[in-house]
Amino acid sequence: MSVILWVTVALLGAAILVGLFRVATAPDAASRAVVGDLVFFSGVGLIVLVGLLKASAAAVDAALIASVLGILATVALARILTRGRR
Amino acid sequence: MIAVLDIAVSILIAVLLLGGAFWMLTAALSMFHARDSLSRINVLSPATGLGLPMIVMGAFLEHARVDGFDPALLLKSVVTVLALIIVSSVASNVLARAAYLSGSPVDPRTAPQDLARAPGEGEQVPHSDDR
Repeated sequence: MSVILWVTVALLGAAILVGLFRVATAPDAASRAVVGDLVFFSGVGLIVLVGLLKASAAAVDAALIASVLGILATVALARILTRGRR
Repeated sequence: MIAVLDIAVSILIAVLLLGGAFWMLTAALSMFHARDSLSRINVLSPATGLGLPMIVMGAFLEHARVDGFDPALLLKSVVTVLALIIVSSVASNVLARAAYLSGSPVDPRTAPQDLARAPGEGEQVPHSDDR
């Protein structure tokens, strides 16, 4: 089982690295916001997997809070993109 | 019987975790193929709506397999999955609107573009040439 967990960690880490590279090469600000969102959610997946590897149920709470409050970061980025217009 | 059930649950967990991570990586790689920011927002949806819920449910099953069933953990996992689906839909809608209003270039074949014209300016037909 541990092998599967580590392979999943590797896939998510690769997703984060590819996403960060895409943030660096993105043509416009909106694309950077979207790919930043993807990196955020990959990080949430990594938190869940660390909770499995360390056998800690607290990571489930962390993932819950991150998924409920993740909209705040996206909405803030959206307001920044339009310079405060709705 | 218990051993067979354990192996079956282990295979289900492996499929959920690896499949979820596969969706996240696919979404990250597809960001290079999408041509404008609206398409990139579309490409994000399978990662947050399918990939991450699969990982969360796989993690719940693994916790239940190792430590035994815990109703509170099931409740947290279900709330997390529902929040991911609902929150990511609303968030990508808000972000798509902001991306369009901020003037980032969209694919010229995008139609209809209701945000770019005044109300009552006439109907636009969706593009249908390249099906």
